[in-house]
Amino acid sequence: MKNVATQSTSRHWSQRLLGVERRNWRPALLFVLPAFVLLLSITIYPLVRTLALSFVTLELSVSPVERFNGLGNFTKALTADPRFGNAMLNTAILAVIGVTIQVVLGMALALMASEMGRTRAVWVTLFMIPIMIAPVVSGFQFRVIFNDTFGPLNYLIREVSNGTIRPPPWTASTSTSLLTIMITDIWQWTPFMLLLLLAGLDSLSQEVIEAARVDGANYWQQLIRIKIPILLPILIIGILIRMMDTFKTFDLVVLLTEGGPGSSSETVAYYTYVNGFKFFSMGYTAALAFIQLVVIVVVSRGFLSLQQRQRGDLR
Amino acid sequence: MNTNKLILRLGLGAILSLALVFFLFPVLWMFLTSFKTQDQIFASPPVLIPPQDQWNLVNYLGALNESGGLQAVRDSLIVAAATALVSVGVGALAAYSLARYRTGGQQFAFWILSTRMFPPVASAIPLFLIFRELKLLDTYWALILANTIFNLPFAIWLLKGFIEELPYELEESALIDGASTFGAFWRVTLPLIRPGIVTALLFTFVFTWNEFMFALLMTRRNVRPLTVMIQSLAGGHEILWAQIAAAGVIAIIPGILLVIFLQRHIVRGLTMGALKN
Amino acid sequence: MHTSRRWFVLLSIFVVIIAAGVVIAQTEAPQPLGVTEFDLCPTFDPPVTVTVVGDAGHNLAPYQFWQTDFEAMGINIEVVEVPFADVYQKLKTEFVAQTGAFDVVTFYPAYIGDFASNGYLLPLDDFMTREPAGVWDPRQDDVLAPFRELYNKFGGQTYALTIDGDVLVMMYRTDLFNNEEEKAAFQAAYGRELTPPQTWDEWLQVSEFFTRAAGETLAGETLTENFYGSAEFAKRSFSFAWFMNRAASAGVIYFDENMNPGINSPEAIAALQNMVDGLQYAPADVLNFGYDELRDIFIQGRAAMVVQWTDVPKKAADPNQSQIVGNVGVGRVPGTLVGDTIVHRSMMPVGRVVSVAADTDVPEAAFCVAKHIAYNRSLEDVSTALTGLDPYRQSHLDNVGAFAALMGEENAAAYLEGLTQALADGFPEIFIPGSAQYNDALDLEVNRALAGEISAEEALNNVAARWNEITDTLGRDNQIAVWRQALESYRALGLIQ
Repeated sequence: MKNVATQSTSRHWSQRLLGVERRNWRPALLFVLPAFVLLLSITIYPLVRTLALSFVTLELSVSPVERFNGLGNFTKALTADPRFGNAMLNTAILAVIGVTIQVVLGMALALMASEMGRTRAVWVTLFMIPIMIAPVVSGFQFRVIFNDTFGPLNYLIREVSNGTIRPPPWTASTSTSLLTIMITDIWQWTPFMLLLLLAGLDSLSQEVIEAARVDGANYWQQLIRIKIPILLPILIIGILIRMMDTFKTFDLVVLLTEGGPGSSSETVAYYTYVNGFKFFSMGYTAALAFIQLVVIVVVSRGFLSLQQRQRGDLR
Repeated sequence: MNTNKLILRLGLGAILSLALVFFLFPVLWMFLTSFKTQDQIFASPPVLIPPQDQWNLVNYLGALNESGGLQAVRDSLIVAAATALVSVGVGALAAYSLARYRTGGQQFAFWILSTRMFPPVASAIPLFLIFRELKLLDTYWALILANTIFNLPFAIWLLKGFIEELPYELEESALIDGASTFGAFWRVTLPLIRPGIVTALLFTFVFTWNEFMFALLMTRRNVRPLTVMIQSLAGGHEILWAQIAAAGVIAIIPGILLVIFLQRHIVRGLTMGALKN
Repeated sequence: MHTSRRWFVLLSIFVVIIAAGVVIAQTEAPQPLGVTEFDLCPTFDPPVTVTVVGDAGHNLAPYQFWQTDFEAMGINIEVVEVPFADVYQKLKTEFVAQTGAFDVVTFYPAYIGDFASNGYLLPLDDFMTREPAGVWDPRQDDVLAPFRELYNKFGGQTYALTIDGDVLVMMYRTDLFNNEEEKAAFQAAYGRELTPPQTWDEWLQVSEFFTRAAGETLAGETLTENFYGSAEFAKRSFSFAWFMNRAASAGVIYFDENMNPGINSPEAIAALQNMVDGLQYAPADVLNFGYDELRDIFIQGRAAMVVQWTDVPKKAADPNQSQIVGNVGVGRVPGTLVGDTIVHRSMMPVGRVVSVAADTDVPEAAFCVAKHIAYNRSLEDVSTALTGLDPYRQSHLDNVGAFAALMGEENAAAYLEGLTQALADGFPEIFIPGSAQYNDALDLEVNRALAGEISAEEALNNVAARWNEITDTLGRDNQIAVWRQALESYRALGLIQ
C-alpha cells in the first residue's frame, strides 16, 4: 500500500494534529476540509442535542418541558423494555441470517455471472433492478405478493401443487412475519453484494489462479484456498455496509406488517421510529439511538480490525 | 468458443435465469399491477395478467398528472443528482487526503464512517430545527444537505479504497514536472479513478432517490420528492395501487438508464477500489 | 461515440414518457345542492393566502371543488399534501418547531388533546359566536353529539370542526340471512331464529354457523371456495378498535377517575376472548387483515358479515367492485347484554377534523376556510363519490335526496338509517395527550392475544401495567386532570353514568 507519510523526527503541529508530515500539511488539510466542515456542521448539533436529550425525559405529546432523568432512559431500555430487546433480537436475526444469505447468494451469482463472457453486462443490469426500487414501492408490491387470500405467491403454490401444499399465511403468522421482511431485504440487496463480489472476482490475478491450477487444485480448492481469502476484504466492507443499513430497516416493516402480528416483526429502527415520530418521546428515542450507535460502532470496529488483519496476512 | 464452455454457459445461464425469476418477479408484478383496475388488486384468485383492453397509460397519466408525479420526478432528479455530485465531489478530495496523507489517522477515517451510523430518526428533528433557522425547509438544499450526511461517508470510503490502489509514482512524476498537488489530483488521479467516481455517483444517486424520511420531513409544497408522492397515493381508505405501481415503474427508469450507461465503469470501478494489493 | 448515442436515445425515451403525461387534468366537482343555508365571509381585501394541510388524496378535493367560493371571499388556497400515515408526525414536527407553515390543519381527532393542550390550535368559540351568524356560525348543534363532544372540544372549548365522520357499522349478507334453508338449519342447530347478531355471543354463533369449507353447500349452492362466517380487522394498527367495540359495550372505560386502567376488568378479558374465539371462523391470514382485505373479502362474497367503516356499504353497492350488490344489510355493531338491555358501542376510529393553527397570520380567513368546508359545503362533500368523507351532521342524515344520486333512493335511506343508529352508539379512541402511546400499547397486546402468543388476561394485564408506566412518564397529575375533562364529555354523551 502506498502513502506518502513517512517517519519523521520533527514534531510539527500538523503531525501531532493531523498525523501528516510537515511538508504535506497544506494539501492534506485543504483537501479534507470541505468534507470535514460539511459533515461536522450538519452532524454536530444533532449529535450533541441527542446526547443531551438522552439524559432527560421529554414527552412532546404533553409538554415541551425537559425533566432531568439521569441514566433512566438507558436503564429502562436495557433492563425494563422487553419490546426493545425483542426488536434488537429481530434486527440481529436480519443482520446475521439475512445478510449471510445475501453474501452466499451474491457470491454464487457473482461466480456464475463472471463466467458469462459477453452477455455478462445484460445479466448484471437485470440483477441490479431491485436496488432501483424504493422500499416505499417494493413494500407495497410484496404486501400483495405475500397475501394469503389475494396474493399470487400462495395462489401459484396451491395451483402448482394441486392443493397438496398448504403454504403459510406469510405476513399473518408470528413464525413467518419476520421472514417476509428478510426475504424482501434479500431480494433488494443481494444484487449489491453480487456487484461488489463480481468486481472483486474480476480483479483476481489470473497468474495466481493459473499457478494453482497447474498445482492440480480443482475448482473448489481454488475457490476456498485462493479466491475467497482474496475476496475477504471486499466481503467485509460489503457486510459492514449492509449490517449498518439493517439497523435502518423500517419502511418495509411499516408497509408489510406494521411490526405484527403482535411484536413478531418489529425491528429496532421501527421501534425507534415509533418512539420518535408516533410517541414523540424524545428523551427515550435519543437513548435508543445512542445504544444502537454503540452497538454498530463496536460491530464495525470488529469487522474493520478483521479486515486489517486480513490485509496484513496477504502482504 | 469450445463446446465445453458453451455447455457451461448454457447451464449457468439456466441457473441465473432461475434466480432472475425471484429477483424480477416483483418487478414484473409491479409492471402488471400498473395496468390493473382497483378491484383487480385484491381479487381471488389473483389477476395475474390484466385484460387486453386495460393495456393503456391511464394509471401512468394519473400518477404523473393528478398525483403530481411530474413535479416529483423533477424534484427527485434534482435532489439525487445534486447530492451525488456534492458527495462525490467533496468526497473525492477528502478521500485523496485520507489515502495519500493518512490525514487524522484511522480514528478520523472511522469518525467519518460513523456519521453514517447514527439512526436518522434521532437526528431528524434537530436537523429540522437547523434548517428552520437557515430558512431551508421546503427547498432542495435541505434535502441535499440531509442526504449528504449519509452519502458523503460512503463516497469517501469507497474512493479512498480506489486511490489507495493507485501507485503514487504516477502523481509523483506529475509533481516533479511542476504540477501543483491539486493539478496532480485533477489531471492524474481523477481520470485514473474514474470508474470509482462513477460507481460512487451511481450508488449515492440511488440511495438518495429512494430515501423517504427526510424527504417527508423537510418538504411541504415547493419540493415534493417521488417517494413522498408515492406514499401519498396510499390514503386511509383508498390505496391507489395501480398508480403506485405506475409511479414505481417510472421511478426505476433513471436508475436503469444510469446502470446501462455506467455499466462498464461500474465493474471495473469496484474492482480497483476493492482489493488492497 | 456509441455509448453516448445510446445514452441519448434512452434519455430521450424517458423524456418523451414524462412529456406524454403533460395533459391538463380536469377537475370534477359535485353540484351545489342549495340545501345548506350560509353566507360567505366578507371579501378580504387585499386577498389573503391560506395554507391548508391534510392527508393527500381525494379528501383534499373539496378545496378545489369550491375554488370560486374561496375566490369570492378573497382567499387564495394553497394545499400541502401529506401521506395519510404520516400526518401526525409531519404536523407535530412543524408545530414543535413553530414554523408557522400552516393556517388550516386537518388531522385525526385522536390527537386533539395533544394539539389543543400544547397550544398549537386557536380556540374557535370567539369566531363561532360572531354576528352575523350566517357567516360565522358553523352550526355545531347540527353536528352529531359524539363528533361534537369528543372530537371537537378539549377542556370545554371548541378547537376543531369535524369534516369526516368515521364510525364502524356491521354489514351482513341479507340473501343468506333471509334464505329459508339456512334459517331452518340455524333454528335446528341453535334453537333460535337466524337474525343478524344482536350480541357478541350471537356473533360467534352466527359466525360458526356460516363457516363452510369448499365443497359444502351454502344457501343451496355448492361452494368452490371456503366461506367464512366473519372476519376482523386483526392487523396491527387498528385491531384495538375491533376489540373495543366489544369491550365498550360491556361497560369497559379506558381509565377510572384517577387514571387507573379499567382495561383488564373481567368484562374486558371476556370481550377480548370473544374476539380471539371469533378468529377461528375467519381466514387463516386474518391477522394480516387491514381495511382493504376486510373490505374485499366481504364485497367479493366470501364472508357472511364484517364490522367496517361506513364507506364500505357505498362500495358494496357499486357493481364495478362488488359481487354482492343488493344483498347488503347495514346494522348496529353487536352489543353486550347488560342487565336486561343490550348495550351497543361503535368505535369511531380515524375521522378527520380541521382547526386553525395558533400561529397563523390570517386567523379570520383560516376560520372562514374551515367553516366553509366543515359546514357550508359539507353536504355536497359527504354525498359525492369524489371524496371519501362520511356524514357527521343531522342535516346530512336527513337529506336522503343528496345521497340518492350516489346509491339510489332505497339504498340511501337504508344506509343513512344504519348510520344514524351506529352514530348514536359512537365510542371514541383515547384522545387525551399521549393517545398515540396508549392506543399503541393497547393495540400491541390485543394483537399478541389474537396471534395466540399470550392469553387474553395476560395481554390486558400487560396493557394496564404499560398504561400506568406511560401515565407516570407523562406526568400522572396532569394526565388525571385531562382525563377527568374527557370523562365529562363521556358523561355528557351518556357513555358513563
